[in-house]
Parts: sequence; C-alpha cells; structure tokens
Amino acid sequence: MAYMSMGEAHRRITDYLNRFSDAVSSQDVVSLKQLLSFSSNSPSLLSLADSLNVFQDANRLIKQSDNYSPFADITVPLFRSLQHYRTGNLVDAYLAFEKSANAFIQEFRNWESAWALEALYVIAYEIRVLAERADRELASNGKSPEKLKAAGSFLMKVFGVLAGKGSKRVGALYLTCQLFKIYFKLGTVHLCRSVIRSIETARIFDFEEFPKRDKVTYMYYTGRLEVFNENFPAADQKLSYALINCNPQSEANIRMILKYLIPVKLSIGILPKDWLLEKYNLVEYSNIVQALRRGDLRLLRHALEEHEDQFLRSGVYLVLEKLELQVYQRLFKKIYIIQKQKDPSKAHQMKLDVIVKALKWLEMDMDVDEPSLWMSRWNV
Amino acid sequence: MERRHHSQSHSQRQQRRNHFSSSSSSSSNQSRSNNRFSFPKSSSSSSSSSANDVRDRRRETQEEKQEEAIVGTCPFMCPEAERLQRQRLRDLAVFERLHGDPRNSSPALAVKKFCRTMSAKEVRASDVRPLPVLEETLNYLLSLLDSTEHPFEVIHDFVFDRTRSVRQDLIMQNIVNDKAINMFEKIVKFHVISHHKLRSSCSSSSISPLHYLNLEQLTKALTSLYNLYEANRSSKPIHEKEAEFRSFYVLLHLDSNGQPVGESLSLWFRHVPSPIIKSKEMWFARQALRYFQMGNYRRFLSTVAAEASYLQYCIIEPYIDEVRSLALCCIHNCCYKLHPYPLGHLSKVLMMEESDVELFCNAYGLQTCIDEVGNKLLPTKQTTFCRPKGGLQNYSFLGFQQLGSHMLSSLFYNHFLLVPMKPFSHVDGWN
Repeated sequence: MAYMSMGEAHRRITDYLNRFSDAVSSQDVVSLKQLLSFSSNSPSLLSLADSLNVFQDANRLIKQSDNYSPFADITVPLFRSLQHYRTGNLVDAYLAFEKSANAFIQEFRNWESAWALEALYVIAYEIRVLAERADRELASNGKSPEKLKAAGSFLMKVFGVLAGKGSKRVGALYLTCQLFKIYFKLGTVHLCRSVIRSIETARIFDFEEFPKRDKVTYMYYTGRLEVFNENFPAADQKLSYALINCNPQSEANIRMILKYLIPVKLSIGILPKDWLLEKYNLVEYSNIVQALRRGDLRLLRHALEEHEDQFLRSGVYLVLEKLELQVYQRLFKKIYIIQKQKDPSKAHQMKLDVIVKALKWLEMDMDVDEPSLWMSRWNV
Repeated sequence: MERRHHSQSHSQRQQRRNHFSSSSSSSSNQSRSNNRFSFPKSSSSSSSSSANDVRDRRRETQEEKQEEAIVGTCPFMCPEAERLQRQRLRDLAVFERLHGDPRNSSPALAVKKFCRTMSAKEVRASDVRPLPVLEETLNYLLSLLDSTEHPFEVIHDFVFDRTRSVRQDLIMQNIVNDKAINMFEKIVKFHVISHHKLRSSCSSSSISPLHYLNLEQLTKALTSLYNLYEANRSSKPIHEKEAEFRSFYVLLHLDSNGQPVGESLSLWFRHVPSPIIKSKEMWFARQALRYFQMGNYRRFLSTVAAEASYLQYCIIEPYIDEVRSLALCCIHNCCYKLHPYPLGHLSKVLMMEESDVELFCNAYGLQTCIDEVGNKLLPTKQTTFCRPKGGLQNYSFLGFQQLGSHMLSSLFYNHFLLVPMKPFSHVDGWN
C-alpha cells in the first residue's frame, strides 16, 4: 500500500464530504448513490477508507464545519462502517451502517420529492448484503447469526416509510423484493405474507405503477411461494409473467425463473423442448421430460433419485414426484394404442397381463389387481 | 436448588433465545393465518395466537435488554401460592384433589396450570420450576395415562394443560439441552397417542374440539422440538430419535389439500439435514406420502403394515380410513360383476380382519354372500353402495395390537416401537 500523507488523506475526506453535501443540495441521486455503495468496492471508496485510517479525526472535521455538520448523523457512522468494512470486520461494519442508514431515512422522510429513491435502494441493498456477510462472520466464530434477521426488521421499517401517498411509494416494491430475499435466505418465508398483503390488498399501491424490473422480481418470488404451496395455476401465472417480462439478455435470471416454471408446466402437462433445457442448463429435468413423453416409470424414479438433494433443496421434489401418475397414464395409453393397432375389435379391453409385463420390464413389481383398479379411476 | 450452567456464554444464550422466539412466533403466525377451520372454538386459539405474537414480540425486545433468563426456584410441581389460591377457589382438577376433596390438595398432587397471559417480565422465580422438578412433573403426568378410574378425555384434558405449562417453564428458562429434547419428545409422544385415542372416542365424523386443539399443540411442540435439535446440532449432529420425530411432520401433511398446519412440506424439506432424509423412518414417511397422493391404496396399506412404528401408525390412522374407503370404492365399482370379490382377499388389501371387513362393507350399504364351499364374497357393482353417514367405527389393522391403557406409560420409557407392527409373513409377496 502506497504511503498516503496526512494532507492527502485530509483532502480525500473533505472531497467526499463535499460531494455528499453537493449531491444532496442539488438532488443528484446518481452521485449520491455512488457514495453509499460499499459493495461496489470502488477505488474512491477504498481510498477513502485508507484515508480515514491515516487521518483519524474525521469526526471533528465533520462536526466543526457548517457544510458537513447537518449530515453528521449519517456520515459519522458511515465512515466508521467503511473503516470496519475495509478491515474485514463485517459485524461492526453492519452495525455502524445500520445506524447511518437510520439517520438517512429520517432525512429522506423530510425530503418532499422522491428524488433520493435510488440512493435508498442502494442502502437497502447494502444493508442486506452486509448483514449476510456479518452473519457468515458470526457463524464462523461459533456465534449465533442474527444480523440478517435484524436487517429484515430494519427494512420493514423502511417499507413503512414508503407505504403512503406520494411519489415515494413506487419504491415499496424494491424494498419488498429485498425483504423476500432475506426471508427466503433465513427460511422465514411465512413473513412474506404480511408484505404481500400490503402490496396486493391494501389500497395504497397500484401494481402497474411499479418499475418493470421490480415487478418481475416480485412475481418470481411470489410465484415460488405458490409452488411451495402447490397452487399451480397461480404459480404458472406469476412465473410466466416474470418470464415474459424478464430482460431477455439476463440469462441467469431466466434460468432461475425456468427452474421453477418447468415443474409447474409439467404438472399441467406442458413439456419444454430439449433445446430450452440445454440453453439454460436445466438438464436435471431432461430425464423427467423424457419419462413423461415415453411413459417410462423407471426413468422417472431414477431421475428423481439422481437429483434428489437438488430437487429437495429447491423445493420442487414433491411437485415432480406427483408426475408419476401422468407417466402411468402415458404408459397405459401407449399400450392401448399398440393393442388397438394389433386387434381393433378388441381395443376396448386392455389385456392385464400385457400391462403387468410392461410394468415388470420397467422394474415396477405389481400384481394383476393394481393396474386394472387404477385405470378404472381414470375411466379408461 | 439447581443453578443453571452459567458457564454458557452469552452468545449461546442469545442463540437459544432466537431459536425459541422464532419458533413460537412462527408457529403462532402459521396457526393464525392458516386456520381454515370455521370452528366455533377456534376464536380462542386464534386470539391466543395473536396474544402469543404480542407476547413473543415483547419478550424479544425484553430479552435484548435482559442478560440472564429466569432461573426457576419452585421446588414443587405447583407453586405453593397457586396451590393455596386454587384450593380456596375450588379450582382443583380431579387428579389434584386430596381424597376427592375439591377444596384440598397437596404438593404431591397439585400441578401448575398453564397460564396464557404470563409474560417473562412479570413472573417470579419462585413460580417457575427448575429442570429436575420439571422432569419429575412430566414423569408424574405421564404416569396418569395408565389410570383406569377416569375416561381418557378427562386424563387427556389434565395432562394436556399441565404439559403445556411444563413447556412454558422450559421455554421461559431457555433450557435447550439434551434433557429438554428428551422432555419435548415425551410430550410429543403424548400428543400423538392422544391423537389416536381421542379419535376412537369421538362418534361423529367431524373432528372434535379436543382432537383439533391436541393437533395444534402437537404441531407446536414438534416445531419447538425441531428447533431444539437444530440448537444442539454442534454438540450432537443427529439425535437418536430425530428421524422418527421428523417423519411425523411428513405424516401429518399427507393430504396437501387438507388444512396446512405449519410450513408446506416442500418448504419444510429444504432444511431437513441430509442424514435424516436418508433414514428409514423418513423413507417410510415419504413412501406413504407418495402412495397416498397417487391413490395407490394397495401399496399404501401394505407399506404401513410393514414399516410403520406405533407412533407413526397413530398419526397416519385418519388417512388409513380414507384410503380404505377409496379401495372399497374402486374394487366395488370396477371389478367384474360375475366374479364376486373374496373377502379373504379384500381383508389382505384393506389390511383388516375378515370379520371387520364384512362390517366395513355393510357400513357402505353393501351386502356380502357365501359361495358353495363357505367362502365369503362381496358381489360388486351393487346399487346400494353409499357413503356411511356419521363416522366410521374403529376397525382393526392387521398386525397392529391396540395398546391397553395400562401399557401406555411404558411407551415413554422405550425407544421407538413398543408393539412391533410386523405383518403376516406373506404380505409382501402377493400372488
């Protein structure tokens, strides 16, 4: 690390503070958000951190200047956070950042227009990401990880600030998506419910007003919730919305949507083309699709076993397992077609021993009763 | 007087606090929002859930201020002040009365009641029982299950309430060690057995209030138990009985269209440790789920007969009736009219004693007949087929012995099954 002089450090700090107050007074959100985005690891922020270590008296500097003191509640903890961040001390970085963010929200409340909304987004994002890293640090030290949970509480508060009349409310969906990400990560998915209720049923918001990007993310998460609850029509509708409106360039996002949409579509009998699975690297579904096409029960069981862990973790296993019934139906239909071709006059009577033979070949041991009784349920 | 292990660090206490506060608030949130029963008494449970919510939130902020959890000092099963007050008010359960006197109890008989409105801040250490006392209390309560003097509902009601208070004391003192796990496992067992016994005593097909409330507490206790397993993960990767107790959650959720109590299965499976998923208890539960959802009654019933433990059977029992219903429906509607179905065969399909099979058919408006050599048969496609009004009686399950009430308490001192559910040897290879 190159040696930095006291004067140089002082200059960089005042430079930052000037940019901060200029951004606020001229309502320049683009500049402001760059000053807050720790995770961007921008050279200017990193060198600011170094400067703070060299020139240790930034607090006095802030408080003694008329230009900087109005935002002392924001910048003092922000600087502290940055220093901790730089030294890899994530827990303390999180705590200080939350304090700074809190002060920022108070100011934000007072600003009439929604000019600073994108800066607020940056803060929400940073809070979540810092909390995640802080929790990793806590866990690695054998302590209980609780910062992400705290971040969730904090962002709920911010949500409350945005949920009102006025132009600021279009930011609520972005906050919602950050909250979804937190709840999904923590496994406290049931907490999504109250936020969803606020967005969808409270009269405050008009869903169409929100930015498209946020709507896509929102539909992705709520679609996943519908998959967990096995509400397939709703899941189909929401995930399809996300897919259609997703930026076609962002393949990673499309892949994430498809990962959940495909099992839903399979449940309603719609099979994806092979090229789709290959293009988006979702080959874990290939054998399942194949099994459905062919009525191959053995292949289905094998595919489920092979990717069991993955499917269980993503929460689609039970959905895929239910496809077994459809595979049976396909199998019996094929047998029926073949028999019909052989002997059209006897087409309405499917020979049970033929079925049992087919099933045995597929390694499904059954006695004669079973298939006939099932087929009765499908009115075959 | 037992002192808790103060050598435990603050962070460990913090961890326990988080696990319990999240479990109780999550389960109470769930029961509040998922409560689809338009059930007259449920208003009490839902208001208690929102009271739980408030209490939990208050408790959470308090815990942030408190450094230490309460350490109970009450040496009796019931705090003396409470006992004296309840004696005065004649608020004593049958089991608490000394020589049947409703105004008199004793330290050996009185057990602390569950108190809904207790908050951590208001409670005194002398009202909270330390761990050894709680263990003794629980053992005493469970021994009452063997009593033949009172009908089961009465026993259940008492043990239900008093074990709830035991749970409350454990949670308030943040006891999360192996012993807490042991106690929660026993309490869950009690609720499972009640789930089975209360069902047989209710005559109508609608679920009785007692049964529903028991199911609610069963789920809450189970959720707390899972959190305890997680909290102890570092010291003990997998607990001895964890697989079986995890399998209960799956078995409680066989019917995806039924009332969800707690997280959906897909969500729940995400945080089950891999060794548990591969255990034979979990494998059984997943097979049961698969066959139930597919309507494969044959495999469902034979797998249950072959694999289920006593406790798993108790949980899955309501579904067995449903599946047998389906089986009868299918066989009756689809089998060839000229070939009546032998009851002997039907008995093996339904996993029911042949004598019960006849009663079962009759309950569905079906007549049986006898062939020339004396075999009993069920003619199919009868026009009198109808769903039974009212509930079904309790039918046998092949290989399963009803536990006599005098054997119930022994269930709590045995691992896994008491009564093995081994089927007839020829069940597996049907031909």
